[in-house]
Amino acid sequence: MSDTEPETADEEIVVAVSDFLDGLRTEVWRAEIAARIAAEPAWQQVHAEMVETRKVAGTLSGLQKARLPATFAQDVTATIHKRSAGRFFARRTLGDRVPFGVLAIVALLAIAAMGYLMWASQTGSLAPSRDPEPAHHGSGALVAPP
Amino acid sequence: MNELERSLLRRLRDRDERAFRELIEGHRDRVYNITFRMLGNRAEAEDVAQEVFITVFKTIETFREESKFSTWLYRVTVNHCKNRIKYLARRHDRDRDELDETSNGQNNAAGGAIGGPAPPAPDRALEGAQMEKLLQDAIGHLDDEHRVVVVLRDIEDLSIEEICEITGLPDGTVKSRLHRARLALRKKLQRHVGEET
Repeated sequence: MSDTEPETADEEIVVAVSDFLDGLRTEVWRAEIAARIAAEPAWQQVHAEMVETRKVAGTLSGLQKARLPATFAQDVTATIHKRSAGRFFARRTLGDRVPFGVLAIVALLAIAAMGYLMWASQTGSLAPSRDPEPAHHGSGALVAPP
Repeated sequence: MNELERSLLRRLRDRDERAFRELIEGHRDRVYNITFRMLGNRAEAEDVAQEVFITVFKTIETFREESKFSTWLYRVTVNHCKNRIKYLARRHDRDRDELDETSNGQNNAAGGAIGGPAPPAPDRALEGAQMEKLLQDAIGHLDDEHRVVVVLRDIEDLSIEEICEITGLPDGTVKSRLHRARLALRKKLQRHVGEET
């Protein structure tokens, strides 16, 4: 326990005067405390100290607010990734690192290319067009055996 | 706890990385402000703030929603600060109570995070910086139990009830420690004013 730890009796006065200055509790109670402050030196002392120290508190509330660098969140998550070897955060079905945007563009380009090919095709199919073979009608190419 | 916070917690428990980032963005400055005022050194404070969030991520399952999430978060923050203070004391780190002299420049360069809307006159800015250093120095000389209550109450403006929840101390002890801490600060400040005049 530190040397500034309050004794019980002292604490009772401090709590009461603190509540009194904060305007807490009932009017009756406050009147009672006001009477004790007026009459008892120990209460008077705590009251005077507390009025003074509240000015210090006011000065502290005006202290500048410290701010972290903008990359802090990234730094923390990077540290977590590093320490857990990437196993800490839940993986999505296809993983977090799948470049969905790039994949969507590639897919659109592929569909457009296929559409163009079908449009340019004579048959309306992606399969290469096959010209019908010339017909051979009894010209002697095939000679029946005697 | 509102529905938005509950939803964030659910996502945190599912280890959703984006939820973690949202959590950090929502609380980073307050956590850092506590660590900085507790430790008095920006580099240490940033390191501890990072450890706080990592601990929160790792132990989010243990948060039972009996208190506000922020209360739990500040409890983790305070515990980390106390541990770091002990560690630094063991190492006899003499930089503990040093206010980083480059801090104002860094913060202003980072977009005016510190300071009012208009730049103060040079003499007033110096006065402000001196006061800042003096106060931080005085806070740094408090023992850690007193420092906690002053930082939470007078700098972070948390209620006595919240401080009781964070520290696990009874109401009377918090009020009493707060009074003693303020007395010690006033003494320190008066001594400084006495030395100057």
